[in-house]
Amino acid sequence: MSRFIATSAIRGAQGVVKQAEDMLKDALEKLGPDVPIALVDKEGVGTTYYLPVIYGYSGHKVEKLGDMTTPLEHAKSLLPPVPSENLWLPYLGETMDAGVATLFAEEIIEGIRFAKGEQPEVRNGYKFNGPISDVQTRSWGIQMVDGSMPGFAAVIGAAKSNEVAVKIVRELQSKGQLVFLSSTSNGRSIVDQLLEEGVELGYQTFTVPFGTDTISVVYAAGYATRAAFSFGNIAPGNWREILLYNKFRCFAFALCLGPMDDLKWATGAGAITYGFPAICDTVVPHILPTGITKYEHVVSMPFDDIPGRDDMERAERLVQRCIEVRGIKIKIPKVDIPVAFGPAFEGEVVRRENLRAEAGGKGGTCFEWLTMKDMDEVEDGKITVVGPEFDSFEEGAKVPLGIVVDVTGRKMQKDFEPVLERQIHHFMNGAEGVQHIAQRDIAWLRFSKSAVDKGFSLRHLGVILHTNFHNDFGAIVDKVQITLYTELDKVEELRKQARVVYRERDARIAGMTDEAVDTYYSCTLCQSFAPNHVCVINPERTGLCGAYSWLDCRAAFEISPTGPNQPVPKGKCIDPVLGEWEGVNSFVYEHSNRNIERFTIYSLMDSPMTTCGCCECVMAIIPEANGVMIVNRDDYSMTPCGMTFTTLMGTVGGGLQTPGMMGHAKLFITSKKFIPVEGGIKRVVWLSKNVKEEFAEELKEVCEREGVPDLMDKIADGTVATTVEELLPFLEEKGHPALTMEPII
Amino acid sequence: MAAVEVPIEKWTGKVHEVTLGGNGRKSVVVGGESTLPFLHFEGSLPRRPVIAIEVRDSEPKDWSPHLVDAWGDVLADPAAWAKKAMEYGADIIALSLRSAHPEEGNTGADEARKNVDKVLSAVDIPLIIYGPGVAEKDNEVLVAASDVAKGQRVALGNCEEKNHRTIAATCIADGHVAIGKTPIEINLAKQLNILLCDVGLSRDSILMDPTTGALGYGLEYTYSVMERLRLAALGGDAMTAMPMICTAGEESWRQKEAKFAEGMPEAWGDHLERALTWEEITAFSLFAAGADIMVVRHPGTVERMKAVIDRLMSESA
Ligand code: SF4
Ligand code: SF4
Repeated sequence: MSRFIATSAIRGAQGVVKQAEDMLKDALEKLGPDVPIALVDKEGVGTTYYLPVIYGYSGHKVEKLGDMTTPLEHAKSLLPPVPSENLWLPYLGETMDAGVATLFAEEIIEGIRFAKGEQPEVRNGYKFNGPISDVQTRSWGIQMVDGSMPGFAAVIGAAKSNEVAVKIVRELQSKGQLVFLSSTSNGRSIVDQLLEEGVELGYQTFTVPFGTDTISVVYAAGYATRAAFSFGNIAPGNWREILLYNKFRCFAFALCLGPMDDLKWATGAGAITYGFPAICDTVVPHILPTGITKYEHVVSMPFDDIPGRDDMERAERLVQRCIEVRGIKIKIPKVDIPVAFGPAFEGEVVRRENLRAEAGGKGGTCFEWLTMKDMDEVEDGKITVVGPEFDSFEEGAKVPLGIVVDVTGRKMQKDFEPVLERQIHHFMNGAEGVQHIAQRDIAWLRFSKSAVDKGFSLRHLGVILHTNFHNDFGAIVDKVQITLYTELDKVEELRKQARVVYRERDARIAGMTDEAVDTYYSCTLCQSFAPNHVCVINPERTGLCGAYSWLDCRAAFEISPTGPNQPVPKGKCIDPVLGEWEGVNSFVYEHSNRNIERFTIYSLMDSPMTTCGCCECVMAIIPEANGVMIVNRDDYSMTPCGMTFTTLMGTVGGGLQTPGMMGHAKLFITSKKFIPVEGGIKRVVWLSKNVKEEFAEELKEVCEREGVPDLMDKIADGTVATTVEELLPFLEEKGHPALTMEPII
Repeated sequence: MAAVEVPIEKWTGKVHEVTLGGNGRKSVVVGGESTLPFLHFEGSLPRRPVIAIEVRDSEPKDWSPHLVDAWGDVLADPAAWAKKAMEYGADIIALSLRSAHPEEGNTGADEARKNVDKVLSAVDIPLIIYGPGVAEKDNEVLVAASDVAKGQRVALGNCEEKNHRTIAATCIADGHVAIGKTPIEINLAKQLNILLCDVGLSRDSILMDPTTGALGYGLEYTYSVMERLRLAALGGDAMTAMPMICTAGEESWRQKEAKFAEGMPEAWGDHLERALTWEEITAFSLFAAGADIMVVRHPGTVERMKAVIDRLMSESA
């Protein structure tokens, strides 16, 4: 805690409490204790929550002047002394008390002003709104809860210029923030600035002018308190719940424009108790550690030092920073590009006749590279095209293209880079007239003539990515910037760097072991068809459909904490060889509708994973051959177990646990954890030919790793054996290792 | 004869109780089961399953002639319709704000307020209020309806994943119950319940609509999903333990077996009897799967279902 701020806030609190005390004494003498107190807005619409901050904090109802004595005494009792010169302790607790005392005093003062008919404020013929009515609180509250208007900005003071004032308010509105206006700086108020520029203020435009003094900021706290009453179902007096509700659910903050004074600090301290941080556009001490607020408490961003070409850009960045500090997630309603966008266009093909330009593909130079950066390295929404655009490409030209995406986010992790990068494919395909194939440095994009005729440019690729990353991955992504390169040498140079990263990532994923983590993930997506099926996904085995890796699941869980991918803590190890853990067993038991009690990760014979119909492959033991066969979904041939893939599915699919049979992904065969209990790949006596071919290289490596370099030649497929009778002589002839291994049953 | 020992399952969970109405209005409480439907020998079934009759805010244009005959003039007046439904024995009125549908009048918040207010004053039993089923319009009219009905503890639906925050917020603010609707899937149903609780709605303010088809039109899928939801609830999973509501009426009366009054094969027998049977069997099957509230359309069905429920709820059944 800053000593400077603490001292200032406590001084401010003492001053305002004294003012309240004097005013109350005077009012009681002149008006008497029975004068009713009611806060209403300029239309005369009020609240049923008395003085809401006081009511929220203490449960005390102020209905008439005489009722104010109790909260005033309460405020006085909270007041700490101003820290003496030689006291160097942290002052957080005391400063917060001072903040609460300030809000009490301010609300008392406003209440008295109402009793005297001095509120809402009228100045130069302009009537301020005053406090927000209950009716309006309810309607905005619903939008707060449903996320369309996540919170409010209490703007205090005046901006550097009228133009900056307008820009700040517009930016805040575009981020879905309500804007509350109060106080002055050097005698100017942001309300004056906006009125001079002809900006409409009021409920209709989501900008509420409270008043020209700092005391009226208390109306913001009153609004927040009533939101917690209505939408948090919290009883008055339950102050802790009210504050927590606001900290986690109401995305509000104070934006202090211009010099600070004691009362502003004192009021700010009150706001911080609600979890609302303050961002100041002047030089003030930072209070960065988090605690009462979700992230930083007080952030200083001196306006003239903000990087930017002009004041407009500086204003934009200032608001951007506010959004970050409060942790507000932004949804963008529409992908703003000149062609249609949606899942309907995902399968669309751009044919040669309609080809305007393409990037990548055979002989092309194209790559996509997504990197996680630090918060201050990414400017949200910045899209840069380095090099020529469509208008300088010949029709049908093959152009170099480098798509570099920088993301940042408080919940972003380095490991999510590949997960997000793979989304580029899906996002870009959504645009009408854009065809996207593959990823990384084999990406291939084609753009149709009609799309370019409608005004589609490379820049719009950036818009697509920016919008969709925010909308679909807002839980982990706070800011996204995109740079598109179209100059050959630059693209080649960056591609070189990207390739190094791709290799590092692959090595990292290949090196990720089951032992290195203490949590696996589940997938229950398939329960709609196979009600008892649970995929348990570990770093060395993907889901049986091949579509979900451990990392994918981890990212999916961050994005949707109530979704189908949940963490499965391993818990106590029951058997390291079988791969059986208490945590996994109990998770599977609970999520299989209490059908599956035991579950091992490393065995085919003892409680293997359940199988649902979408597995890429299914394996089954062939007792006669002392081994297992693996048939892939695209292989229609008969297999030595006497069943085709489809018939096998009918037997084991649907969420059954069948020792000796199990569904799995194609790539699982290459895992180090491929049925180790049964002896790994050496047990495979029959494997679909298409899999052998598709993964020829990978399988060769695995066989070498397992010390059986010529194993692939010894494994049969549909071309040599479709019955056990045909299989056995083949294995004998080749000397397949399974024949001499210990009995599988 | 040797005595047969009835195997008794020991359940640990219990369905949450949800109250509708109250505050001067009659109240209806559903839920509270600690065993599967009607198994009195195994656990307690403190609340009767109840029947809601669907009432529309505007005269339905495409309803079966059987329904038009049964209701007559009141179809044009939601208040009169609701009153008559109450006389026929409805425990709840399910008011559907259909006129807000973009293709059926596209009315807005004002019309919704007016109609809800009218029906609330016409009857003293609890209300369910349905939007037209188009997310944007649902949010508009349900938020308005919620405001008018503040304090009357109505159920608002449907609340789906895409608009769950708005409906939950208005339910919290005005003290109502949300009907969470998900497409025939246990995990989605559970997930929506979790999401609603995350927003701040309490567990005793949520009903689940697992989505149903009529007899012969996918009823069995719903049956099995409801059964599993209820088994999970009784097994102790609080996030599947919300009482269930099904719309047997709407589904049955859409199908040709019920809808038409002529032009059907002779062998199908008496048209009206067949139509009523369709709604009745659909409704009863869903009660047997665990439904707590059934929304139906024909007065005849109410009578028939009440008779069945009476028998099944008497402990000696
Ligand atoms: S098969 Fe794939 S989608 Fe289905 S549960 Fe397993 S991982 Fe999830
Ligand atoms: S249909 Fe599949 S259950 Fe059946 S498999 Fe596909 S998603 Fe799994």
